[in-house]
Amino acid sequence: MRRVAAIALTLALLLTAFGGPLFAQSPAGPPVYVVVVHPNNPATSADRQFLEDAFLKKVTRWPNDEVVRPADLVANSPVRRKFSDEVLHRSVDAVKGYWQQRIFSGRDVPPPEFETDDEVVKFVLKHDGGVGYVSGTANLGGTKVLVVK
Amino acid sequence: MPPRRPVTLFVGLMLIASPASAAELGSEDDLLSVDIHAFASQGFILTSANNYLANDTTHGSFQFSEVGINFTKNITEKLRTGIQLFAQDLGPTGNYNAKMDWFYLDYRFKDWLGFRAGRVKIPFGLYNEINDIDSARVPVLLPQSVYPEQDRNYLLAQTGAELYGYQRLQSLGALDYRLYGGTIFLDATASAGSPFQVENFNVPYLAGGRLLWETPLDGLRVGGSLQMLRLDATLLVNTTTVTIRAPVTIWVGSMEYVHNRLLLAAEYSRWYVKSDSSDPMVFPQVSEIVSERAYGMASYRAAKWLQPGVYYSILFPDVDHRVGRANIQHDVATTLRFDINSHWLFKLEGHFMSGTAGLASNLNDNAPLTALQRNWEVLLLKTTAYF
Repeated sequence: MRRVAAIALTLALLLTAFGGPLFAQSPAGPPVYVVVVHPNNPATSADRQFLEDAFLKKVTRWPNDEVVRPADLVANSPVRRKFSDEVLHRSVDAVKGYWQQRIFSGRDVPPPEFETDDEVVKFVLKHDGGVGYVSGTANLGGTKVLVVK
Repeated sequence: MPPRRPVTLFVGLMLIASPASAAELGSEDDLLSVDIHAFASQGFILTSANNYLANDTTHGSFQFSEVGINFTKNITEKLRTGIQLFAQDLGPTGNYNAKMDWFYLDYRFKDWLGFRAGRVKIPFGLYNEINDIDSARVPVLLPQSVYPEQDRNYLLAQTGAELYGYQRLQSLGALDYRLYGGTIFLDATASAGSPFQVENFNVPYLAGGRLLWETPLDGLRVGGSLQMLRLDATLLVNTTTVTIRAPVTIWVGSMEYVHNRLLLAAEYSRWYVKSDSSDPMVFPQVSEIVSERAYGMASYRAAKWLQPGVYYSILFPDVDHRVGRANIQHDVATTLRFDINSHWLFKLEGHFMSGTAGLASNLNDNAPLTALQRNWEVLLLKTTAYF
């Protein structure tokens, strides 16, 4: 009995650790968001952890040494909320709090915020190191989708 | 005569706060573009007994204001510069004298190695860098045992240089580290809490570091900070001039866990202070006094607009003398933070205090701490606008 419980607990932990959605896959249809980068970026995939560090500006370089230039959607965007929960592992409000600390202690400033997917795409296309996220139905406009591992 | 409240600036900040999170002069890639952020706070302090942080708080005091504005600019991909102007009024300190809170040139060679020079916030413990940033935390007052407002000038920022970095350790989490050295420039007249007249004040050196480990457990970080400095002062006691040298070593061990809407934090700290006096009869020579400081804190985001918080903080100014009201300060605090919108907040906070070690005699008619009320309460109201 104890062994069954241990196996069940292990399975539950494994499901919790690895079974959660790494992509914002809606029940049916397109994902809630996709991560996009400049077409010149040689990366085709990135660790979730790398993206978290990049959007919080803890890391500033892609593996090819290009400067990472993250772009956010505005705080009330449901797409941002989903991205924030799943990739940054914190709520948009918590991210705002993080940036309050960084801004006023002189450490850094947050990524630029854009109202629409099109503006994010435009920003990403403008910078070789650009990275953003847009809704799954957005016109990607020549940007490249990055697979989140 | 300076204005007693930064009302004009406060209103001005509210007016220029745009729906975006910052004002930016020019587009990001323009050579002349600058990021601008600002905040303004007005607080109110009321105590049931004993004046705390300001004069006459037993009748209520509005001498609890802060205002700041900063400008940052990426000069190149690796080089950044920034400056923050700050003014405050907290009881006898500040008086709205604007000064540079921080300014720096920052060159980030790699993510694991950056260099800053200028006046930079001191990375001591988890929250020292945000000690004067109301919008970046839940409580009005951070736990005063570890982050004392009355020692703000000695702890908040240093002028010198800093090495910093951030390194991922694969499955072992990440390290966030800082090493710094420099000095603190102090206005001798700012030491209003001293019972002596300070003629000269100098910090010949200050050095320290902080290491934070972001553990593999998401949201858990632990770390330690160490700081060493020496305070040299020339004091006038009655008609006698005395010079003192006080080497100080302080360290703090820190732990913070953030999970979903919950934040838990705890820190433990010890401060070691010695002093050599040119005239021990007038100013005592102290072999070493060790103070002990600790707190545990929790906050929870109950709603987008509401965050309650609570902490318990304890201070022993001298670990060898823990008995008596003047030798201890218990502080149980509860806070409600209301985010009215993304640029304006309001806080309500109550403190239940036991002990008088956190009080200043000069705010209480120079009465000895042993003569002040043992058990007392504090009510704090504060509103902050920021962008």
